[in-house]
Formats: sequence, C-alpha cells, structure tokens
Amino acid sequence: MRQSLHVGLTVAGAALAVTLGQCVPSVCAGKMPQAVGEDVLAMILGDARLVFSDAMMGKAEEYFHGGVRDVVCEHGLGTPHEEPDRHAAGEHGLEHAGAAAGTDFWGWLNGQIHVQEDRHIEGEDVRELLPWLWAACRSAPQSIRAYETTAFVLAHMTKRPADAVRLLEEGIVKNPDNASLEISLGELLLQSFHDLPRAERAFEAACRKCRAADGPEGAPDRVLKVKALFYLGYLAKQRGDLARARECLSQAEQLAPDDAGTRDLKRMLQEK
Amino acid sequence: MSVRLRQLGALICLSVLELYRRKDLFVVFVLAAVILLPLAFFAPFGVTGAGRYVNELALLLVWLFSIVIGLGTSARLFPPEFESRTIYPMLAKPVARGTVLLGKYSGALAASLLALAVFYLAYGLLTGFRQGVWFPPVLWQAFALHTGFLVIVTALGLLGSLLLTASANVTLCGLLIVGMLSFGQRLAALAATQTVPGKWVLYVIHWVGPHLEFFDLRQRLVHEWPPIGWGVCAAVLAYAACYAAACLALSGLIFKKKRF
Repeated sequence: MRQSLHVGLTVAGAALAVTLGQCVPSVCAGKMPQAVGEDVLAMILGDARLVFSDAMMGKAEEYFHGGVRDVVCEHGLGTPHEEPDRHAAGEHGLEHAGAAAGTDFWGWLNGQIHVQEDRHIEGEDVRELLPWLWAACRSAPQSIRAYETTAFVLAHMTKRPADAVRLLEEGIVKNPDNASLEISLGELLLQSFHDLPRAERAFEAACRKCRAADGPEGAPDRVLKVKALFYLGYLAKQRGDLARARECLSQAEQLAPDDAGTRDLKRMLQEK
Repeated sequence: MSVRLRQLGALICLSVLELYRRKDLFVVFVLAAVILLPLAFFAPFGVTGAGRYVNELALLLVWLFSIVIGLGTSARLFPPEFESRTIYPMLAKPVARGTVLLGKYSGALAASLLALAVFYLAYGLLTGFRQGVWFPPVLWQAFALHTGFLVIVTALGLLGSLLLTASANVTLCGLLIVGMLSFGQRLAALAATQTVPGKWVLYVIHWVGPHLEFFDLRQRLVHEWPPIGWGVCAAVLAYAACYAAACLALSGLIFKKKRF
C-alpha cells in the first residue's frame, strides 16, 4: 500500500514537473532570466568559448605544420601558401635540429624523439584540419578568425567553395554587425564563383557595417571600408560604370589616402 | 631460489587478479568506446576521411588510462598493508623484504603492462580497420617506449607508497607526471630565462626529474612521421631501466629501515 503510494507520488511529481517545464516558458515569455537565443553551451561557458575556440584553432595550426607546435613559420594556416615543396623538404627542420643538437644531452634526445621539422599538410590530408576548425567555429560563433580561416581552408585547400560560402553566410547571421565576414564572402563569390551581383551586395553590406570613426580606434574599420570600396570600384569599372567607380575612389581617398587599396583603385581607374 | 621465484610469481598473480577484480579495464574500455565511437562517424562540413583526430584522441585516452591504472595500482601497494597490518603475516611467512618489494613492483608493472598491451592491440586494430595500415614499426616503438614510461611510473608509485598515503601519493605523482609531460621538453629553456634561485630549482628538476616526455611518440604516430632510430629507442629504454632501478634501490633502503 505504502509502496504504491510512493510510486503514485513519484509519477505525479514527474508529470507535474514536465507540465510546468512546458508551460512556464510560454506563460512567462520575456520574463525568464535566460537571455533569448543563447544555447546551454553559451550560458555555461560564456566568454571561455573564445579561449576554447582559439585552442582548437591552435590545434588546426599544429596539424597544418605536421604536428609541430609553436613553429616559427611565415606560412600560417589561412594564408596563401605558394612554396609547399621548400617546406616539405624540411628546411625549417634543419634549423630546429641544429638548435636541439647544440643543447644538453636531454635536449638532444628530445630532438631525436619529438619531430622538430616543419612539414605542411597538403592534398587529401588537408581534410585532417576540418574537425578542429569545425570545433573552433561551433564552440564560439563570435570568433571571426575561426570563420574566416575555416572558409579559406574549405575554399582554397579542400576546393569546396560552396561549403565555404555557406559557412560565411552562417557566420554573418551569427555576427550581423561584422564587416570582415561580408568582405570575405564577397571575395569568395568573386574569385571562386565570378558571381558579381552577389559579391557586390556583400561589399555594399560591408561598407554599411563599417563604422570608420576618426582616430586610431577607427583604423581597422577604415581599412576594411577601403577594401570594400576597392572591390566596389573594381566591380563598377567591370560593368563600365566609371562614375560609380570614381565615387568609390573619392570615398576611399577621404578615409585613407595612403592605403594600398586606395592607391590600387586609383591606379586601376587611370588604366584604360 | 625457486622458493623466491614462486613467492614473486604469487605476488605478481595477486596484482593481475586485483586488476581483473576491480574491473578497471572494463570501465575504461566502455568509456573509450562511448567517447570514440560517435567521433569515428563524424563528418565535419560533410567531409569524410579525416582520421588523425580520432587517432589522437584514442592515444590520449590510452595515455590517460595507462597513467590511471599504473599509478592507481602502484600507489596502493603498501598503504593498505600498513593500515590493516597485513604486512606482518606477509613478512613472517617468511618472505624477505626485498622479495616483497620486488614482487609488489613486478605485480603492479605486470598488471599495468597487461592493460597497456590490450589498449595498443585495440588501437592497432582500430587504425588497421580505418586506414588499412596494420601495426607499423612506429606503433611498436610507441608501445615499447610506453612500457618504459610505465616502468618509471610504477617505480615512482611504489616509492611514494612507502612514504605517503595512497591519495597523497596519487596526487603528487600525478602532478609530477603531468608536469613533466607538459613542460619536460622546455625545462632547460625555461630555466635559462629565470633568475636565481628559480633557475637552479628548474635545472635540478631538469637533470634529476623523470623525463617522461621521452616516452611519448604520439606526435610521430598520429602525423605519420617515420620511426625514431632504434639506437635512440634503446637509449630511452635504458634510461627508464636506470631510473626505475634507482627508485627501487631507494625504496629498498626505505623499506629495510621502516618500522611498522
């Protein structure tokens, strides 16, 4: 009798909890303590997600260099990589091995056991970077670097530009005020798909999002805006709209007359 | 001599049986399967074929579980015997103190190595089925060096079990192992940047501390680098043997003078 009462109370309690769990959020909509749109991971980890995302990016970088950590190399992940053979031959490795040999015996032994060479990942092996980059993007959707690097790897290293576009669009949805992602999207649409109208829309959106304030704090946005204006001028010239191209140049000159983008746009408009 | 060997054999059997009784192996296998199986089928951005991250996580788990089993087995060798006073009947059998020490150490090492062999067999089968590469030479080297790692860890655990309680021993040895695995390679460079006396403390740790990072071949295994020279492999194993012998000698000295 007592046992069946316990069972009945447990079932009733569970049913009540489920009912309240379903009703309370809809009844008290807007008054709940949780921030709208935040998932459980975001609420638990907060800004620590950025640290985790950076760690994942570091892991991808390590994989890019063949598992070697803290390598000093001019070719980082997400930068154009034109001379793979020089690195595949282990040019940096000789420098590292030489450094290790000059130290104590334990250092020498460590140099023999742990690989010191820098061998860049190439070809089919590039897909080995993707799990870490995926984790970097998913763990911190506010990490612009993660989105841009992953898009670069997808588009240029694994030859999957459509996936890169989808990823950048997702990044833009999650970071609606960011101009850098719009520029990356525009560049990708221009270079990989030659989709000029969509690319132009992306560069225009980037221009709108740049808040190029005066002074040093506005410098990064000024650089981004000049970059977007360069592309807008280039696209305008492509379709023969020279008035629009000159307007872009004049805006760029007002913002940063000495910027490389401004100079390039000026040179391009002077050419026939 | 044969009596001593029989006594040693009995002590080794006891340790292996204890590992089987505690079901540690079963638990770590289930845990590894729960972590690795979903990851093995994961296709980031719809791209399949990436396998190094699974290998890396699998090896990380192998290292973690081998430390847990090796340290857990060796750190509990003597404190329960001292607390429950079962050390008296054991020494009154009569079994020489040296035989008890060697038997306990060999037992803990045998149990740890048995678990390690099972882990590496599972890893070899996993990579064989996924990548079609069956037990490459670098995997054998990784296993050989990992045994060297356990030779040192169990010797350290045994030494600590004569001086500390089991929990304190596990904590201190755990810190030492993680510290050396993380910073062992950079100790000399770190010491060079410090001022006195921190500099000398780091140099002493560098020269006297157990360089457990020598035994870690995960980077070569995961990123498909060629194996190390067999001479280097032998030198590292000799280092493990010497370090463990020194720990055992010190343990023998402490155990000989120990008053219960």
